[in-house]
Amino acid sequence: MTCEEFRRVLPELEGDQHTVEQDEHLKDCSSCSGLISDLRAISAEARLLAGDQEPSPRVWNAIAIALRQEGLIRDPQAPALLSGSRLRDWRFGWLRPVTIALVAGAALLLVVERVPRRTQVAQQVATSSAPILKTAVGITQDSAINADELQLLNLVASRAPALRAGYESDLRAVNAYIRDAETSVRENPNDAIAQQYLMNAYEQRAMVYEMAINRALP
Amino acid sequence: MTDARKSQGDKLSEAEAIERAKQGDEEAFEALYRLHKRRVYSLCLRMTANTATAEDLTQEAFLQLFRKIGTFRGESAFSTWLHRMAVNVVLMQLRKKGLPLISLEETMETEEESPKKEPGAEDVRLAGSINRIQLEQAIGDLPPGYRMVFLLHDVEGYEHNEIAEMVGCSIGNSKSQLHKARMKLRELLKTSRAAKATQP
Amino acid sequence: MQRRQRVAKLVVGVFLAGTVVAAAETHQEFRFRVHRRASVSVANQFGPIWVKPSSGKEVIVTAVLHSDKVEVDHTHSFNRVSIVSHLLSGADAESGRVEYQVLVPADANVTLISATGPLRAERLHGDVILEGNTANVDVRDLSGGHVHIKTLNGPVTLTNVTDGHVEITSVGGDVALNAVNGPLIHVNSTSGRIVYDGDFGGGGEYSLMTHTGDIEATAPSYASIDVMASSTQGKVENDFLLQPTHASFAAKAGTAFAGTMGKAASSVRLLSFSGKIHLKKR
Repeated sequence: MTCEEFRRVLPELEGDQHTVEQDEHLKDCSSCSGLISDLRAISAEARLLAGDQEPSPRVWNAIAIALRQEGLIRDPQAPALLSGSRLRDWRFGWLRPVTIALVAGAALLLVVERVPRRTQVAQQVATSSAPILKTAVGITQDSAINADELQLLNLVASRAPALRAGYESDLRAVNAYIRDAETSVRENPNDAIAQQYLMNAYEQRAMVYEMAINRALP
Repeated sequence: MTDARKSQGDKLSEAEAIERAKQGDEEAFEALYRLHKRRVYSLCLRMTANTATAEDLTQEAFLQLFRKIGTFRGESAFSTWLHRMAVNVVLMQLRKKGLPLISLEETMETEEESPKKEPGAEDVRLAGSINRIQLEQAIGDLPPGYRMVFLLHDVEGYEHNEIAEMVGCSIGNSKSQLHKARMKLRELLKTSRAAKATQP
Repeated sequence: MQRRQRVAKLVVGVFLAGTVVAAAETHQEFRFRVHRRASVSVANQFGPIWVKPSSGKEVIVTAVLHSDKVEVDHTHSFNRVSIVSHLLSGADAESGRVEYQVLVPADANVTLISATGPLRAERLHGDVILEGNTANVDVRDLSGGHVHIKTLNGPVTLTNVTDGHVEITSVGGDVALNAVNGPLIHVNSTSGRIVYDGDFGGGGEYSLMTHTGDIEATAPSYASIDVMASSTQGKVENDFLLQPTHASFAAKAGTAFAGTMGKAASSVRLLSFSGKIHLKKR
């Protein structure tokens, strides 16, 4: 066997599996045996490189955030039975409406139960339970959009219709924040944390306004 | 309680983690990520030679995997499935960057084109003297097609039939690419060693 | 021979396909000579903006425009560079998309604005201001400068930001801080979740506040902090053994705790109105 013949079949050789002819050639040819030795050394060293690099923590953080946003991570307290993919696997599909009714009923019970608990918390921090209870109701009422905000949203919609819903949702959220913070300050005027919450809440609303005005403009 | 839950997550087997991930369990996703992150990231890093890009590709590969995890039925090994996604993500990235990602078939050089090596010439052996940093550098200097097959076979330990399936080439082509990659690395390492020897 | 012809056809096909795709896109490049601490701003309604350090005193902007319904307006006035994606009539999120890669001197002050993003800045030590609507914001390997981030609902991730003055305001976007420390780290969120993983080092002031979002902070056992955590309507958990302090602060099991660790070099406030708070030990 010549060197050229040996090197032609080299790509097909796996590990130490050589024919007798190839072994004979390697015994006699230092160049080819040197080549084999080098290639094996490269391969052996390369094996040590497997999985030796570690990504930074931000990679998992970003993945987790994305999974949550896409609804792929489900809160264990969330009604997993309502998951479409699970129910598709479930043979007894007729139980779905029953399950939804049961979960809705449980949620209703939870809300009813939380009202007195909120009252209890209010008693710890305030003289009267009424403000917190009022806040619980007020969150629903007062986080509604006022006339100025409606005008702002209409401005957004006139320039960038697709953005309106997002801005409305953000305004409701920050308004709820402001209401909770205002209530907290009213009840505890000397509480620095309550004051900080209020400042933060206003800062959030200012940001939403600013971005709505700036971004909605062409 | 959180620590107990965390250690419980550590003890999750891959099969358990897959099933729980299908139900949306965050710890299961994290367990699968921890099990495979280093291999995926190392592959992406060596293919792109850029930590930021490699992290992005790692993130993308895992996200694609987790989005489709509901369809995984165990026909192939989970890690193979994941690596296939990572390879696809890397290849797409290379295409986007405009790198000449010609068909792997095309990178087969003819006898006339491949670097001439005179059989019978004396060779100084590399065995026992390969510097890991130089090897990393040499891998970085390989053309993308060679590099991919070399990483998957010699670094990650995949067989040629698995590589052929992942990359979309024939088994013969995979073997040929691997051989050429090793030959090229040998050449680069010897050049590097020779250059070092001539330094004052 | 036949095989070679097939392969050649494949290559030609790939090349032509790439050409057709590329024909709809326009690549533009702009270069601007600047001096120390230049100001660079990029406003791009739709599409990513990625800022990295350049090697010289030049700002190099590479833009890929997805259609002729958008154009890139640029101004350069002494040490200030401004790039704006100008949407023409009929432009939408797809046709108005521009992808920017911007190289700036590392000490430049950078402002990036985008509705959809993503926005990315890395390896800079000037001031960085990022504003996004739903944009994914990713900042890494910054040191010494001010970092101001405003987002409505886009997730924000900071990694390896050292010696920084960081202020993040987010309505609903989650905020993740990995290895972030400096004299001032403030996060203000309405409903976004805040995750911190670092050492609270640098003798700084750390304030993570949210209305309804959860806060998860992970620190090492050697952290030197003066910490206060409170959730008015949610629960708090603490993995550390703290030295009691803050006599004026009413610690309540399950809803508030306060104390110090080590030399209490940094001040840490974890406050959520109704979300959960967990101070975890790494």
